[in-house]
Amino acid sequence: MKGPHKKNEIVSGRYRIDGFLGEGGMQFVYRAHDLMLDRRVALKTPKNASAEKRFHRSAIVAAKVNHPNVAKTLDYLDVGDRAYLVEEYVSGSDLGQALLGHAHYIDPYLAARVFHHLVKGLAASHHVGVVHRDLKPSNVMVGGGFQLRAIKITDFGIAKLADEELTQAAEGGSDSITSSRTAVGALPYMAPEAIETPRKVALSADIWSIGAMMYELVSGKPPYGTGLKAVRAILEAKPPEFPSFVTSNAQFAPLSNSLSDLILKCLAKDAQKRPTADQLVGQCSQLYYPMVERHVGTIRTIRHNAWGFIAVDGTDVFFNFDSVYGARPGLNDRVMLSKFPGGGAHRAHPVVKLR
Amino acid sequence: MARSTKARFVLPTRYKPEGAGSSGGFGHVTFCRDLHLDRLVAIKFIQDPAESRRLKDEFQALLTLRSKHVVQVYDLVPGPEDTVGIVEEFIPGKDLFESDIPSSLNEYLRAIWQIASGIADIHEAKIIHRDIKPNNMKFDGEGIIKIFDFGLARAEGAEAVTKNFVGTRGFAAPELYGTNTVPFSRAVDTYAFGATALYLATRNLPKNILQQPPSALADGTFRGLNLGLRSSLADLLQATMEHDPAQRPLMSTIRDKIARQLLRGKHQALTVLNGKASYLNARNRVVKLELPSVGKIEISYDMYRFKVTAVSGEVAINNKPVVVGQEIPGSCVVALGGGHRQWFQRAYVTFDVSHPEVVL
Repeated sequence: MKGPHKKNEIVSGRYRIDGFLGEGGMQFVYRAHDLMLDRRVALKTPKNASAEKRFHRSAIVAAKVNHPNVAKTLDYLDVGDRAYLVEEYVSGSDLGQALLGHAHYIDPYLAARVFHHLVKGLAASHHVGVVHRDLKPSNVMVGGGFQLRAIKITDFGIAKLADEELTQAAEGGSDSITSSRTAVGALPYMAPEAIETPRKVALSADIWSIGAMMYELVSGKPPYGTGLKAVRAILEAKPPEFPSFVTSNAQFAPLSNSLSDLILKCLAKDAQKRPTADQLVGQCSQLYYPMVERHVGTIRTIRHNAWGFIAVDGTDVFFNFDSVYGARPGLNDRVMLSKFPGGGAHRAHPVVKLR
Repeated sequence: MARSTKARFVLPTRYKPEGAGSSGGFGHVTFCRDLHLDRLVAIKFIQDPAESRRLKDEFQALLTLRSKHVVQVYDLVPGPEDTVGIVEEFIPGKDLFESDIPSSLNEYLRAIWQIASGIADIHEAKIIHRDIKPNNMKFDGEGIIKIFDFGLARAEGAEAVTKNFVGTRGFAAPELYGTNTVPFSRAVDTYAFGATALYLATRNLPKNILQQPPSALADGTFRGLNLGLRSSLADLLQATMEHDPAQRPLMSTIRDKIARQLLRGKHQALTVLNGKASYLNARNRVVKLELPSVGKIEISYDMYRFKVTAVSGEVAINNKPVVVGQEIPGSCVVALGGGHRQWFQRAYVTFDVSHPEVVL
């Protein structure tokens, strides 16, 4: 356990600390049990007691956003000199861990679904005038791993809180950006204007961040890299190239092309030229993607360098390399796949190599 | 603090009453501003103190229920005379009783699909709502329907009996109008769903449905709605208002059938032959693949599924023999030419079936 609380401590007579979930630059996050309503919740408390006032303001902002793709704000309380935000608990992990922790990138079907749900949640927040400001993979919770049973944007509150630190860091130039823990995590997803004129950031900065996250999901790395080098590249904002595997496979190309078009629109240097969240929702609802269960297996055999079998829960599933998105898996590599009925063995499609 | 006197009670200071309250179901509602989060909440007090404890138990089931279509419970507060107040999410705006007739079939289907999804979630948690009606539903700011007023809700089982009629005329199932103790099941919600679906389409209910108890819904009422409902869906909706509760379909079945029509014509199959992509969809519904003197196959989209409509010669789908009428699995390879032939005498076509998700 980390932070101010130990397991089984009870906050305000109502929330029992069950475990430590993690920490952002600004806050500790616990898994807790709401004893009054007998349900699991996420309990957040700022690391720095002086941030209290902003934490409260940020909670109020977060509570305005109400959508299935946004983690619900359930409660806010002050106990002594500590503040707490209670949020809907999502059983799972953040987008970074849940998807990119297992795969370098994901196939366009899965990516399209993530995109669609993310922009739905973002549109709901933009409808009530709330700019997230700190959208990044660690601020999106995913339930059910590759099955994507839930996709929820979180930490709207903390965005407001991080605001000042991000602004200070950005105004202090490259050195202070790379020495601020909050800024370093957010940097690869920050819009050019969020670095250059951080006090003038509008809804369109979130659109950029979604574009940067989606770029990373389909291609395996953030569009402008990480660290100090990213600052210059983001400010330049040359449209990023996609690795060739994104569109080289005829089976994925139609959807991949649609996705990369949308991503590049989000990454327009001129904030005015980026689509609105509502426009993105409209475009994402035109994307075609199947809703099929995902499995994890191991490459068991490869024949003629063209096809082979994947062992999935002790059963062989046929695959062809034409169904692979991205790097070709080798013998004994772990892969993620969907499977469909076939003669002799089921057939896998798509197949993505895992880390 | 709140229980200091019996006659008067005081709300916790975080809840500041705003506007007038109202009464409905078994309870009284007070609208308050939650000062901690600066948002409006509805606080519902159960009027019968004897009911309070049991209702709290049943609310427990409701609390563990996760549904996009049920209002969120935030808190419990002590009320007057040992009662409990339930602090809920407040949804501003008109309820569905006052809403406009849907402007399109799609809008109507999305509305009843959401309601059916919400009730299916409630039933899955083994709760009977008992007061499903358009007045107890609202669209939130994002167009998502939320069901509220669980004041009459009951857990399923032996305790699901009632002595006096409770419910709402027009929406209460016929079996609820007994003079003796009446057992009831989740099918009362199904009936009320049917009446709600009928009301939303017409902003009215037929006279015989408004009788107490209601008499049978005229045959073909849903088919007669001028909405463009598919007849199979109209018949399923008609069945929700069957007099015999056992004849009413499950809410999960209804939800899935509505989704089926909602997604009608919206599927797409991507076919790739020699690296070239083409689509099979509502605009382009038939594809014929042929390798002369080896084999041929025709695949058609019937607006719901992709099916084999003709086949001859050597054809396999995912390495399996093909019969007319079979559905194409979500993703597959069609092979023309048997395994005994050389590669240049065979052709492979990949098929990928997908559809837009019902995303709210």
